[in-house]
Amino acid sequence: MSTYTTREQAVAVFSHLFEIMLRDETFTSTMRRDGLSVRFVHTAPEFEMYVDPDGVRIDDSPATAALAIKMSCDTAHALWSGHLLMPVAVAMGRIRIKGSVAKVIEFAPLLQPAFDRYPAIAREAGVAA
Amino acid sequence: MTAVDVHAFADTSLTEPTLTEPTFTSLPAHAEELRRLVREFAQTRLRPAVRRLDEADAADFDWELVTEAHQLGLTRLVIPRHLGGLGYGELGVAVALEELAAVDAGFALIFGATMLGQAPLLLSGDAGVQARFLPLFAGDDPVLACNAITEERAGCDLLIPEAAEHAIGVTRARREGDHYVVDGAKMFITNGKVAHYGTVFANLEGHPGASGLTCFVIPLDAPGVTRGAVADKMGYRACLGTELQFDGVRVPAENMIGGEGGGVFINIAQMNMARAAVAAIATGVARGALDLAIAWCDERVQGGKRLREHQFTARKLAEMAAKVEASRLMYLRAAHLADTRVPAPVFETATAKLFADRIAIEVAEEGMSLMGARGYVRDWGMEKYLREALGSRIYEGTPEVLALAVTDAIYTEDDGDF
Repeated sequence: MSTYTTREQAVAVFSHLFEIMLRDETFTSTMRRDGLSVRFVHTAPEFEMYVDPDGVRIDDSPATAALAIKMSCDTAHALWSGHLLMPVAVAMGRIRIKGSVAKVIEFAPLLQPAFDRYPAIAREAGVAA
Repeated sequence: MTAVDVHAFADTSLTEPTLTEPTFTSLPAHAEELRRLVREFAQTRLRPAVRRLDEADAADFDWELVTEAHQLGLTRLVIPRHLGGLGYGELGVAVALEELAAVDAGFALIFGATMLGQAPLLLSGDAGVQARFLPLFAGDDPVLACNAITEERAGCDLLIPEAAEHAIGVTRARREGDHYVVDGAKMFITNGKVAHYGTVFANLEGHPGASGLTCFVIPLDAPGVTRGAVADKMGYRACLGTELQFDGVRVPAENMIGGEGGGVFINIAQMNMARAAVAAIATGVARGALDLAIAWCDERVQGGKRLREHQFTARKLAEMAAKVEASRLMYLRAAHLADTRVPAPVFETATAKLFADRIAIEVAEEGMSLMGARGYVRDWGMEKYLREALGSRIYEGTPEVLALAVTDAIYTEDDGDF
């Protein structure tokens, strides 16, 4: 059974996660300095989330995102919960990324706070661990 | 099967130094400049040393030439700029390695192996381990790395996902407080004799097979590390392959890369990433053989005309040149995709290496045939290209392993536009 049963629930949790991330000045200023923007392509349930230093947009991604990251909502849940390691997910093809690998290398360490924040956000939304 | 993107070179190439895109007819400016610099070094500094490097004792190593190459940036090409590197990505690496390999493939592999040792750190996404180790490669003196996975009883199994459960590693790691203790032995480790750091794969105690494979970065001057005898290889003699012995080596837990049991995934990802560079080395070997054959066929007169004016010879030269061109296009495209896709695509990288390995042997063999007895004599250099072409076929995936990877990709469903 999927972790996320409705699209609305998935949108609420993942967008909230990155809205919180964007309140972190280090995260935002690094994204702005390095020209980072990310289009998250989520499946099952499907939605797109665009994150840049100015905010989070749902199903409104410009074509110019520096990185595009595709994964299922189940994979996203396992990843942000810390149950699935990024290198494992990538090697297994559960996460696929388009864009400069140099940008990925810069961006990945910035995501560390998301791993710390996600479990509580998911729990508050009633998502099973 | 991964969709063939005929517009790949017009797609986004965002390697760090410039956003200029490669095209089918030209490289981005930064890669072209790197090629010019490395070509000049290879032709003026490396070429005069080739015979000496090839005939030296198996354990000799030319730190002076390596230092010059380090000063060109060849030990830090893939390291991001914010960590002291040059941030070229695979495209730049591949272009540089072709230039070196066209003169001496063994010398090229010194830097290829260093990048392979750096790759797990880059792939980990672990800012801490990156910050502790990667800037060390940007100092005044050359720092080399190696990647240690092959063992007496484990090699290709680790490269084939469906065979991974049969990979029985000998090297073991057990947790003791805030350290892991590593025991075991690795073999055929390129740069093993001279590397300062190794990314070493070990099985967690109680977890034999791929599921327990874990990657650690280990300074090779750590207590308990012993470097074994240098393998007396047929070719690639400028780089030194050795055994590495680990006896109770204590590794801080923060030097684990990719988590416990994450080693097999790190290894698969780094192999896919590295294959374009390895294909570039094989292409360089083929190009070196071609250049030698071209010069000979222009100089040698038989039957009252130069060899190249004989139709049979012209046909051979043309076929050799076409193979080198095709191989270069394949590795450039694979490198570009490796720079812009995570994970690096299996199909394009594996086919590039599969093709380059084969044509390197064919071109060197034809070159030897065109040069007659001279092709078989060491003074003329062609036999060295054939020896090195045969070596290229073995490391980072034999044709048999690559064939499995390629056919697996062919029969794997692509997921549309991604």
